[in-house]
Amino acid sequence: MRDAKIRNFSIIAHIDHGKSTLADRLLEITGAVSKREMKDQLLDSMDLERERGITIKLNAVKLDYNGYIINLIDTPGHVDFSYEVSRSLAACEGAVLVVDAAQGIEAQTLANLYLAMENDLVIIPVINKIDLPNANIPKVKKELMDVLGFKEDEIILCSAKTGEGVSSILDAVIERIKPPIINEDKKTRALIFDSHFDSYRGVILLVKIVDGKIKVGDKIKMMATNSVFEVVELGVYTPNEVKYKELCSGEVGYIAASIKDISSVSVGDTVTVIGNEADLPLEGYKEMKPMVFSGIFPTESNKYEELKDALNKLKLNDAALRFEPETSEALGFGFRIGFLGLLHMDVIITRIEREFNIGIIATSPSVIYKVTLTDGSLIEVDSPNKMPDKVKIATIEEPYIFTNIIAPSEYVGAIMELCQNKRGIYKSIDYIDATRINVHYEIPLSEIVYDFYDKLKSTTKGYASFDYELCGYKPSNLVKMDILLNGEVVDALSVIVHKDFAYSKGRAIVTKLRELIPRQMFQIPIQASIGSKVIARENVSAMRKNVLAKCYGGDVSRKRKLLEKQKEGKKRMKMVGAVEVPQEAFLAVLGGE
Amino acid sequence: MIKSVYIHIPFCKNICSYCDFCKFIYNEKWVGAYLTGLNNEIKDRYMDDPIKTIYIGGGTPSALSIDELKRLFKIISVFNTNDLEEFTFECNLSDINEGLLEILKNNKVNRLSIGIQSFNKKNLAFMERNADFKDALKKVDLCHQYGFNNINLDLMYAIPGETLKDLKKDLDLFLKLNPTHISTYSLILEDHTKLSSKNVSYIEEELDYEMFKLISKKLNSANHYEISNFSIPGYESKHNLVYWNNEEYYGFGLGASGYIDDIRYQNTKNLKEYLLGNYVLEKEILGLKEKMDYEIMLGLRKLKGINILEFKNKYSKDIEEVYNLKPLLKSKDLIKKKGYIFINPQKIYIMNEILIKII
Repeated sequence: MRDAKIRNFSIIAHIDHGKSTLADRLLEITGAVSKREMKDQLLDSMDLERERGITIKLNAVKLDYNGYIINLIDTPGHVDFSYEVSRSLAACEGAVLVVDAAQGIEAQTLANLYLAMENDLVIIPVINKIDLPNANIPKVKKELMDVLGFKEDEIILCSAKTGEGVSSILDAVIERIKPPIINEDKKTRALIFDSHFDSYRGVILLVKIVDGKIKVGDKIKMMATNSVFEVVELGVYTPNEVKYKELCSGEVGYIAASIKDISSVSVGDTVTVIGNEADLPLEGYKEMKPMVFSGIFPTESNKYEELKDALNKLKLNDAALRFEPETSEALGFGFRIGFLGLLHMDVIITRIEREFNIGIIATSPSVIYKVTLTDGSLIEVDSPNKMPDKVKIATIEEPYIFTNIIAPSEYVGAIMELCQNKRGIYKSIDYIDATRINVHYEIPLSEIVYDFYDKLKSTTKGYASFDYELCGYKPSNLVKMDILLNGEVVDALSVIVHKDFAYSKGRAIVTKLRELIPRQMFQIPIQASIGSKVIARENVSAMRKNVLAKCYGGDVSRKRKLLEKQKEGKKRMKMVGAVEVPQEAFLAVLGGE
Repeated sequence: MIKSVYIHIPFCKNICSYCDFCKFIYNEKWVGAYLTGLNNEIKDRYMDDPIKTIYIGGGTPSALSIDELKRLFKIISVFNTNDLEEFTFECNLSDINEGLLEILKNNKVNRLSIGIQSFNKKNLAFMERNADFKDALKKVDLCHQYGFNNINLDLMYAIPGETLKDLKKDLDLFLKLNPTHISTYSLILEDHTKLSSKNVSYIEEELDYEMFKLISKKLNSANHYEISNFSIPGYESKHNLVYWNNEEYYGFGLGASGYIDDIRYQNTKNLKEYLLGNYVLEKEILGLKEKMDYEIMLGLRKLKGINILEFKNKYSKDIEEVYNLKPLLKSKDLIKKKGYIFINPQKIYIMNEILIKII
């Protein structure tokens, strides 16, 4: 049976199309949050999310509207976090697709919509920001109909900012989205779609109860790890926590069960209740494969254990995070971490630094290369330093992505030039309408991990949107390039580059390093080499002056303060041999051109 | 214990572009009030110790009128000067005249510090200062006539646009004035100066270093006794050596700093607060380690360096027991010779790098 009074839905949108503002307005209209409590982007609880105006982590809130219980599950908009999107979509029966009235359909609108369709969700198309002076409602309507196949009368117009049309969205959610199937009598199965660590209550699980029910005091079992805990507290977010006595089939809520051991919980696992134990777990999530790997090292080597603890805690609500210990001659003990993309990497590093207060050095990201050796065996290499010796390699293949680049058609030349420079292979151009195009290229993933998106934005004055999917491996003429400081190879700076681009890349890296490495007491040669052949060289000249000569009226405390400041500055440097290298230098190999 | 005294006079007739020290445009009313404040501070804080050196700096002390100066010297007359060795008064070239010299002479001043900085037109325009060589010759001659034979000249270099040739010319002219002491400072761009609001940047580090080398070479007949200071042997500034020897001194006046009874303090730069009697803005109480750190930081500014035995007598600890100097001695950044530890003269211009490694 279905509980006719419950609806579970998500909002999906391209970044900046107003998803979080719409969520805010829904909370306000349903009285979940009073005007007084209202702050912008309420569901974006991490500082990082509000600061950057993006949603990273999903959130679930219970709303009461016209006698219905509506569970809103927020989703991130960025391409890196499509994994999070699919997790929240799995807990829903429908989705509100938000499109900006001025921007129209963008790359991530499509990506998220396809995910929703894979999950068999009912889609409610909404055109947002209709109050904008440059809103073009007829054009965006036409796009929704022509490109995505919606009917005109399905489309809802709204302005999340002014509140206009927002209640018709809630009405549509109730009318169009099916209620969840309720199986209260079945053996209990609840899907863990998120979790986080609370210092007082241990691991908090975010669950959707699919079958049966869970009560306070129940002994629950994680079906994958077989670990058993007693439920201490459960409830829902409104968005404030509201404690319940039980959660029933169809409901979405949180569970606290004094779980101290982080490793006993994994997102995607099924919770069942001892005494009413299910036989089979729910179908979990498709494992998200990390695409970008980087070495992460604590700036202070005694922080290794803290870093490990931080990563374990972050993994709790970031199932996509992978890591294993790595040792670098230059940087000491750290971890090789797999990320979904560059934004994901940035977010994780910032969270480690802010939430755990650990200084971090990240090495330049690498993709996974498939290397066939001369003896015929195949190995996967996720770090330049794991690349075998040249003579042992028969072929190297690298991952390619297939692009969706949506932009006004006048930028077609600039976009194609950028893609060519990134070793792209032209595939096709689709016309969304008379003025907008979707450009498809196949580009090596290693070429887009760093600055592709920024470059795309700048060459198209911010108009282009970008999304991609992996489209397989292709052989490439790749070589490992080493960087030497003061004559010594610095393992953390090695990169894998295409042979035809090696010379210019080597030049760019040594030039960048020369700018970043401050003068020291001796001259420091910086070299880029392939094998034993040096292909580029620069010098950081010896420091000539570092003295505070002036002495105004014996103000020597000031001199000491200055010295202490300089000393503090040194702490942000890593000693590599005799050379002090600033943290940013380890990412310098990414830049270039 | 015998001590030194620094007195700050925060008034100038003209504000130099690079100056970030505590100063106001000269104003009769304010000077009057200020001297009253200064008198109060000295009465309040001076503990009747014998005074070894006095230094009146600024600002521009010579900007004061004869009557104001008389009042100033009357205030100072409370100091126990039986053992006074050196009494320096800072003046601007344009303020030097018979009246000024007369009053300085009558009040035990025995050393003048003249802030010329440069004779180069471009440099002067940049610094918003004036100086004329012929005038300087006349003024210095007048000082000699009044018996002031111990004269320091301030020279500033590394001014944007300045060349090695410009500096050489300045050095030649400075030497023609036959000073006993020259203080040289490379321009520092500070916050809260006229320059900080303009788009000014430092000259190339390499050129700055070449300039420093040129100065050392041109003044090689003099005694280069501290990073920035050169003198005819025997004419080293006793007052400045109090700083570098980490000895105690009073700092009186607005924004002045002092070091008394293991406390380093900095006076307020707010005239209103000062006049209300709220003199001290910041205090740093020094423990043994801090005192030794200062000894290193200041002592190594002297080319002669730190006397190992004196260090031990002062702190009851071996310098090498407290600080790990081995690597720096090995790399020849530091040199140990004849009972002294000093910075390799080749590396004195990057001494901060070395200090950071020690303390």
